[in-house]
Amino acid sequence: MRRPLPIALAVVAIALLVLAPLALNGYVINLLYTTLLSVALAYGWNLISGYAGYFSFGQIAFFGLGAYATGLLVKDLNWEWVLAALAGGGVACALAVPLGYVMLRLRGPFFAMGMFGMAQLVRVLVTALPASGAGAGLYLSPDFNVADAYYWTLAIAVGAIALTFWVDRSAFGLRLQALREDEQVAGTLGVDVTRAKMAAFTLSALIPGLLGGGYALFLTYIEPDAVFSSRLDLQSIVMAILGGVGTVWGPLVGGVVMTQISEALWARFPEIYLMIFGGLLVVLLLLLPRGIVPALSKLLAERRR
Amino acid sequence: MNVLQIAVDGILLGGVLALSALGFNVIFGVMRVVNLAHGDFVVLAAVFSAWAFAQLGINPLLLLPLTVAVGFVAGALIHRFLLRRLPPEVSSAEAASLTLTFGLSYFLIGLGMIVFGGRFVSVPYLTGAFHLGGIAISQARLLAFVVAVVLSLIFAYVLRTTLLGRAIRATSQNLEGALACGIDVDRVRTLAFAIGTAVATAAGTLMSFVASLNAGQGVAFTVNAFAVVVIGGLGNYTGAIVGALILGLTESFASYVLGATLAEAAPYVLFILVLLVAPAGILGRRTA
Repeated sequence: MRRPLPIALAVVAIALLVLAPLALNGYVINLLYTTLLSVALAYGWNLISGYAGYFSFGQIAFFGLGAYATGLLVKDLNWEWVLAALAGGGVACALAVPLGYVMLRLRGPFFAMGMFGMAQLVRVLVTALPASGAGAGLYLSPDFNVADAYYWTLAIAVGAIALTFWVDRSAFGLRLQALREDEQVAGTLGVDVTRAKMAAFTLSALIPGLLGGGYALFLTYIEPDAVFSSRLDLQSIVMAILGGVGTVWGPLVGGVVMTQISEALWARFPEIYLMIFGGLLVVLLLLLPRGIVPALSKLLAERRR
Repeated sequence: MNVLQIAVDGILLGGVLALSALGFNVIFGVMRVVNLAHGDFVVLAAVFSAWAFAQLGINPLLLLPLTVAVGFVAGALIHRFLLRRLPPEVSSAEAASLTLTFGLSYFLIGLGMIVFGGRFVSVPYLTGAFHLGGIAISQARLLAFVVAVVLSLIFAYVLRTTLLGRAIRATSQNLEGALACGIDVDRVRTLAFAIGTAVATAAGTLMSFVASLNAGQGVAFTVNAFAVVVIGGLGNYTGAIVGALILGLTESFASYVLGATLAEAAPYVLFILVLLVAPAGILGRRTA
């Protein structure tokens, strides 16, 4: 299927994002970085929770592990940061395989809260490790370029969108959606349910694992509450839900919209930010319960008729 | 510190945790909604009680009827005007209610921070202790425990004997069956959410003389309530009380043996283990 317009749009958007650090000031780059990070995190979550239907509150564990792995490798072993950040993704996958094997037996809210607990457990254990500064934090040399973290995150965000684009059209994606609707029926139809779930879980651990390394670079100071932030985790979930769970473009739309709203509120009304953000979320959810993207495509479909 | 002292502290803490978890449990049981704003109701009531004690000098026990009433009305309104308007289809209902209560949680934290500020407050009430054979029993903790037990018994009585209680249990066990019996399920849900919230605010008022809190501390109570309910079995009310005592004891011993940092992980280890070994809760009755 050839669709020249969307492809051209995507190329232009990526080119603009690549050129952005050359032309824009620090605040805008920070905002773009935050947006890209949230979008990419939302895509990671969307694979296991949107497509496979396993609602996770603990993907931040992989993000934090990636950040700490990168920090320790760069600081103590003098690794190149790119290699260290890749290794952070590897560490996340290495944890995801045994963890998925155990946790994916749980379902619904049990899996959701089990993953939440697991993330807290990983945070507490990492904090207690003497090598990781034992909660006092880990200082990296501040002479890293913010642009490096930006490009790294941009590459992962684009990769995550491309991956989702492929999953949405592949037999793998169909298997995931089948097991989301009814796991037993999918199993009787010959879907290797465990394998499909494990693959989705590992992929959705790889993405935050890789992002963690970039975040370590961006902060230059790693501490447990910053990289295992349950608020960051929940915000990315909200973005995916507002955009549209289990859709290709939902996390992108939701992430871009929510980050801008959130930043604008933070800049203007810092003291009532939380209240407005929470209230806005409730209102948006009641107006658009299925998310922005499904609502838009429904609108477009009605127009065409 | 001896073992008995740690056990006593754990049991006294468990009493208040049990009350908070009962509220969480009735909402999950009837509506299958994991209420992420649960802990924020607990904390808001606690901070409000501390404020009223400091500013107006009102005894927090006299405040209990007020916080319970406010919690009840707030819960009923939240169900009527927010949760009930979510789409009914099953596949996204869970995600939608989680997001909605998450937004509500932010709203309540923000509200609490604006109204009461970010300072950690508690009610300096009954600061003495009874001494029994080398064990110190904090009077405030004992009072909180006793009131929590009384409220839990009232809750159990309402659930077991009244028509409303039977309707709540029927709806928890079998939605279609309840509908077929002519139960107004929609009304039961509103009442269940109202009761769950009222129980949370009652637990909050009691927490105010046990712990120092600010409006941002709600997550810990949500997690504790979830852990208690998982240990006891979702929708299983006797189990929740047993679960709360186990959690209270675990937290108390863990902080003594492992130190404060690692002890933070204790409730999580406990509930993940229970989820994996006995997903229906330690009493093993599957009602969900």
